[in-house]
Amino acid sequence: MSPERLGRLFWEYSDIFVHGLWITVQLSFLAMFFAMALGMLGCFGSLSRSRILRSPAILFVEFCRNTPILVQLVWVHFAWPEIVGIKFSAYTSAVIALALQSSGYLAEEFRAGIESIDRGQVEASQSLGMTYLRLMARIVVPQAVIRMIPGILNQFVTCFKSTSIVSIIAVPDLMYQANLVASATFLPMPVYTFIALIYFAMVLSISAGVRQVTKLLPNFGYFQHRRTE
Amino acid sequence: MSGEPVRLDSVHKRFGKLEVLRGIDVDVPSGATVAIIGPSGSGKSTLVRCVNHLEPIQGGAIHVGATKIDANGLWQDGRRLGAGDIARFRAHIGMVFQAFNLFPHLTVLGNLIEAPTGVLRMPRGEAVDRAIDLLAKVNLPEKVKAYPAQLSGGQQQRVAIVRALMMDPKIMLFDEPTSALDPELIGEVLKVIADLAIRGRTSIIVTHELAFAREIADRIVFMDGGKVIEEGKPADVLDRPQQERTRSFIGRIH
Repeated sequence: MSPERLGRLFWEYSDIFVHGLWITVQLSFLAMFFAMALGMLGCFGSLSRSRILRSPAILFVEFCRNTPILVQLVWVHFAWPEIVGIKFSAYTSAVIALALQSSGYLAEEFRAGIESIDRGQVEASQSLGMTYLRLMARIVVPQAVIRMIPGILNQFVTCFKSTSIVSIIAVPDLMYQANLVASATFLPMPVYTFIALIYFAMVLSISAGVRQVTKLLPNFGYFQHRRTE
Repeated sequence: MSGEPVRLDSVHKRFGKLEVLRGIDVDVPSGATVAIIGPSGSGKSTLVRCVNHLEPIQGGAIHVGATKIDANGLWQDGRRLGAGDIARFRAHIGMVFQAFNLFPHLTVLGNLIEAPTGVLRMPRGEAVDRAIDLLAKVNLPEKVKAYPAQLSGGQQQRVAIVRALMMDPKIMLFDEPTSALDPELIGEVLKVIADLAIRGRTSIIVTHELAFAREIADRIVFMDGGKVIEEGKPADVLDRPQQERTRSFIGRIH
């Protein structure tokens, strides 16, 4: 097939691809937003001294991390209506499933960040009369968040890639649109190659962005050579 | 201001099955300085950490001013203290750690004013003035905006001492304040402790610096194996030790 014909083909369907990409981006951000909230709950639950909070939080986190995203997706979309009694749109199911998956990993990321803070920081705060909430808010979490940022951004990349799975419940994301175009044109090779390149370019630029952001994080006087470069 | 008395009555502390403190009696009168010496593993660090309840105890009692700590918690006037009251109790007991434990994400000034403004509700301007005044007294006036990572160990420990003093504590606890320092930096920290930190306060200092202990302490307590082996005036304990274990410890360290 000639390059011109290919060019015309992609031009003709460009609206569909752009719309698909837009859905993909929306899903990634929405899912990550809810995943951060759920992940925080999971994190503080699993760090809690109360067993009533801790056990369900750990169960939730482990369930999210240890079930495949495809299974979570069809479970939310086809099983929840019978369990919870509410039927979600494919789009909502997709956001929920992606958020569940990411929240498990984020909860672990948050927990590891908080536990990585030296015990001496807590003891120094306590000896200065700080309550648990105050020392978490002012001393532990601010230090931990900086260590978490690279992990959160990497999870965003993973979440972005995972969105392609939602096409199987007919959410019109980039992958779904590619399927439509491929079957309408009988040209699977160029279409799938094209969207593979789009995913590749997107993920590559997000990752590059992540590396830049990581470099911009405050370093509080460590690694001073970097600033003078 | 002369500090509050601290009295330990037959204090027992266990970590699991390991008994670290086995019936400790120590009396620190108001305003006095007691140095605790002894081999590592003798329980001396654990002892000071029990005084501000960083470590709970399993037996006996610790009286800190009007507060009593026992195996069931902290008590004032027969009332058991909750988490908020325990925090308030600790706010007036300064503690200096071996590893400094400055907050690395805050500047020196941030480290110093965090607890006064947040815990004591001191106005920010007043806290800043106090911080600048105290930093000058420990010869670090130019380090206000520095981060802890930009300071030497001796400078970090001096800031950590000032951080404790910002709260105007009635009692100061020092847990091997110079053990993590290079030898040439020890002097500057000891000087700040002697000239500034213990003045007008009740102080308990865990240290390996025997000459320093002799100079500043009213009494020296020698601990080994979770027990007080010997205690008395510095000259008595250091020059005329009665117990064989004290003699051999002092002989080894000199």
